[in-house]
Amino acid sequence: MFINYEHNNHVYNVTVERRENNYYITYNNTEYKVNSVEEPVKGQLKIIIGDRVIKSVITEGDKEKYIFVDGEVFKVKPVDLTSKKKTKKKEDGDLSSPISGKVVSVKVKKGDSVKKGDVLMVIEAMKMEYLIRAPFKGKINKVNFKEKDQIEIGQITVDISKKGE
Amino acid sequence: MFKKILVANRGEIAVRIIKACQELGIKTVAIYSNVDKNAPHVQLADETINLGDPTPIESYLNIPKIIKIAKETNSEGIHPGYGFLAENPDFADSCNDIGIKFIGPSADVISLMGDKIAAKKTMEKAKVPVIPGYHGVKQDNASLIKEGKKIGFPLLVKAAAGGGGKGMRIVHSEDLLEQSIEGAKRESKSAFGNDTVFLEKYIERPRHIEFQILADEHDNVIHLFERECSIQRRHQKIVEETPSPIMTPQLRNKMGKAAIAAAKQVKYTNAGTVEFMVDGNLNFYFMEMNTRLQVEHPITEATTGIDLAKWQLRIAAGEKLTIKQSNLIQRGHAIECRIYAEDPANGFLPSIGTLTKVQPPKGPNIRDDSGIYTDMQVTPYYDPMLSKLVTYAENREECISKMIWALSRYVIMGVTTNIPFLKELIEHEEFKKGNITTQFIDNYFKDWTEAKDGLPIDAIIALAVFDSMHNKKQEIVRYKEADPHSPWKHVGRWRVGSEGGK
Repeated sequence: MFINYEHNNHVYNVTVERRENNYYITYNNTEYKVNSVEEPVKGQLKIIIGDRVIKSVITEGDKEKYIFVDGEVFKVKPVDLTSKKKTKKKEDGDLSSPISGKVVSVKVKKGDSVKKGDVLMVIEAMKMEYLIRAPFKGKINKVNFKEKDQIEIGQITVDISKKGE
Repeated sequence: MFKKILVANRGEIAVRIIKACQELGIKTVAIYSNVDKNAPHVQLADETINLGDPTPIESYLNIPKIIKIAKETNSEGIHPGYGFLAENPDFADSCNDIGIKFIGPSADVISLMGDKIAAKKTMEKAKVPVIPGYHGVKQDNASLIKEGKKIGFPLLVKAAAGGGGKGMRIVHSEDLLEQSIEGAKRESKSAFGNDTVFLEKYIERPRHIEFQILADEHDNVIHLFERECSIQRRHQKIVEETPSPIMTPQLRNKMGKAAIAAAKQVKYTNAGTVEFMVDGNLNFYFMEMNTRLQVEHPITEATTGIDLAKWQLRIAAGEKLTIKQSNLIQRGHAIECRIYAEDPANGFLPSIGTLTKVQPPKGPNIRDDSGIYTDMQVTPYYDPMLSKLVTYAENREECISKMIWALSRYVIMGVTTNIPFLKELIEHEEFKKGNITTQFIDNYFKDWTEAKDGLPIDAIIALAVFDSMHNKKQEIVRYKEADPHSPWKHVGRWRVGSEGGK
């Protein structure tokens, strides 16, 4: 499983794998083998990695998660790229980039008509590609980036208006 | 003793009072607004009455509504807590009018102490030192200069209608006095439409030290030593401790006597606090008298073993104080930290939202007075104080260590709290040395922001494990490379400008 967490405008990419009943967490090119996890109450975790013990409390709010670890609370937002929530948001015309990365492909140009779900732009970050799709049937007013451009999280990729508006 | 009283408050103080009543066998009536219907004070009380609209003026400040409820529930007394109606003489009067005991001093005393200038004049009569100053009507330059010279330097010229530092000047020598008076007058005129100014001795390195008083209705008055309350933000205390790090037995004796003299002068009854300003040379001056139970009363309870809330009830019921001044001792050290739903990195702005988790620290000599619970909504209607965390230990050093331990284990999630700020404050070298003044936060924490090292690796791991345990959703990102093992090795955090793992 691949997860993005956003905290204070930084995105953290983490992968979790389950192999032979162990969790393997990869972050920043380092793999951590989780030896054991105890969760007596949901959200209260004791994780053992070698001789390291991580005690944490995790709760979920409406959109965000909170984690208490080592005396501090951190608020994170899971950045889920294709969840229903995100799609819904995109119906409002939000075509901001979910990540910072490089534009590898622009599939549309000004004046194009697109169907809902059409790929408009492909953004690459590390070894992954993120697809920007049309949130509704519409017409492209402006394309803000070209191939090989650097794009930052939150920047608007494409301006689109609903057909007939 | 009362059979039943009404608690005209909410939050932790309502809880505190109800618990004291329960110990004394007094039934309680809680009042609550619509947003407080699940609040702990409502759960604890014997009877509960809904006030409706949460707006303070329609609920906890609504005198006719509260008086009517007190009558209808046959409450014999009303405890106002602190804040809201605690220092409102009209409320105390309204209680008396219908034969309900107001658990606090008389309306006259509340009224007198509420008028800061009248209070000062009264204290001068009792030979309690007050900050030398001129608050007179003669406002011509010559008169003001004459008065200023009498007070001595440095002195403060401040607008009578003042606030927020406008129309305020610190004057260090006589030759600058006239121009400062004129400047303050001009500024005051344009800011407040009134150019009346006061002159006051300027206190350098000021500390806020207050004395707890208990006075019964039979002319017995005792003091329960001091509380050091210099750590303030926006003139509001956030950390209090007792004893004060600068206190000496001689000074304590002198200030304690002054506090008792102040209380006797106004025929004070019930629990009260005499606030003093103490300068760098340990001169002390009366500031004001708080005619209620203070927020920070638990530290006095910890170091004296006296239950102030219970004594308030006993005194109001007409009982005599059985504690003698000579029998009182201060033992050990206590610190209180006020935990607020606020963002210290952003001007201490209140933070509202749902508390997704509340888990207070527990341990020997740790007291948590709170009115919060998991899933509670923190609303914008009332003061954003969530809890008062109090630690008690043999000495100041151990008390600080215990407080750090406790703050580090206080889980409050869902709103921004000042816990990280409090921790840094308590751990500050100057705080540890006891070098604190009312300017402490301005001096050392003015542009404080939380150390932003990003998410620690432990948090990332714990979140990832949690999500993979509870989130059954499948992987949806498309990987560029065919080899399924390859991407795992290459993903990571790639944002520029922050460090990775530990």
